[in-house]
Amino acid sequence: MNEPDPNAFSLDINDPEDAELIEYFLGELPERVSAINSAVTDEDIKELGRIAHQLKGAAPGFGFPAIGSAAAQLEGSIKELDESFADMKAVQAEVESLLSLCQSYITPK
Amino acid sequence: MPDVNLTQLDTTPVVLLIDDSQFVHRLLDARLRSESISLIGEHDGKVGLERAIEEGPALILLDLDMPVMDGFETLRALKDEPRTRDIPVIVLSGMNSSQDKVAAFDLGAVDFVTKPFELTELRARVRSSLKMSALLQMLSQKAQIDGLSGLFNRTYFDERLKGEYDRAIRHGHPMSIAMIDLDHFKSINDTYGHPAGDAVIAGVAQVILHELRSSDIACRYGGEEFVLIMPETNPEQAYNLCQRIRERCETITWARHPTRSVTLSAGVVGADDGSSINCTPSAWVEMADRNLYSAKQAGRNTVKASHINGSAVQITQSKAG
Ligand SMILES: [Mg+2]
Repeated sequence: MNEPDPNAFSLDINDPEDAELIEYFLGELPERVSAINSAVTDEDIKELGRIAHQLKGAAPGFGFPAIGSAAAQLEGSIKELDESFADMKAVQAEVESLLSLCQSYITPK
Repeated sequence: MPDVNLTQLDTTPVVLLIDDSQFVHRLLDARLRSESISLIGEHDGKVGLERAIEEGPALILLDLDMPVMDGFETLRALKDEPRTRDIPVIVLSGMNSSQDKVAAFDLGAVDFVTKPFELTELRARVRSSLKMSALLQMLSQKAQIDGLSGLFNRTYFDERLKGEYDRAIRHGHPMSIAMIDLDHFKSINDTYGHPAGDAVIAGVAQVILHELRSSDIACRYGGEEFVLIMPETNPEQAYNLCQRIRERCETITWARHPTRSVTLSAGVVGADDGSSINCTPSAWVEMADRNLYSAKQAGRNTVKASHINGSAVQITQSKAG
């Protein structure tokens, strides 16, 4: 699989079109974070995979390649799991790094 | 009165995006805004297919990875459906395996763009697909268009008459046709040469196009003969329309023979209610021809009209313009 170049899609906050996309993505982020949390609580590995897949594809285009990479890692790990024995704990590290990354954009330090 | 648009190249092409992710919709909506397209969207393959049938977009951007009905299945359905078969499809996918590309091309995709999108590439691919589809559309229309007049040709007329005739019968709607013939055309060719004759054919075609409404269909029937199909038009209205064409033609000053005006005669036939018609499309043409003949007999530069059932047309004064 081709990993996207993390710098190739950085957007310019001073460009109105870019700013609109960044703002939209940031506005959506809290909802995605809570969706990830619910999937973890429900142990719904399939849903978690779906969210990760969408973030992987979308985040770089909105100027957040790091979130895209974290989501790609999570999706990759989920794909390696044996579906019948899917255990959330196996992907806990990936979930946490994706969540903390998202969180860092929601509440900037 | 809208001008008749033969090529439709100057209308904004509709592009349909089928992708389950709202992010992608939002992203492409912003990123393709500078292109002269109108972007519409659906979030799953099933609804996307219906929308494609309904809107007949110039291009479809299709996500491969969707729940419910995935991109491959949607692509197969689009290519199975006669109304969407010829619409070019660019496949969008995060999956970057060459296997998927081959599968998508096998199913009839014209191009492939990988997520995350590289903007310049995406725009270039959208543009080239649109250009290609516009050219193909133009080519298929060219085959139906008469080169000299720019009107539809005889083959197209035969096909279209049948279609409009069936529609008028089915819905019980009015419909008329008119056969138009230039008066003493041979003497223009003989006196001023064939280029002058060609200029007259092209000029009269322009007059016809100018007077027609966008729903009317103008064809060159042969030599100096034209035929009009006027759906939703009763014979009185068709008569008035042909009178306007006749009047306008008469007043044109021709560059190659300024002192010699050109006139035309027309035979109109029509029905107020298509459901009452019980004859064939070719009987319409014969009847219009007969009315054209009696217009010529009446001294030319004349329009004669009748109902398809043979009854006379009530002539009301045509309004100017
Ligand atoms: Mg998708």
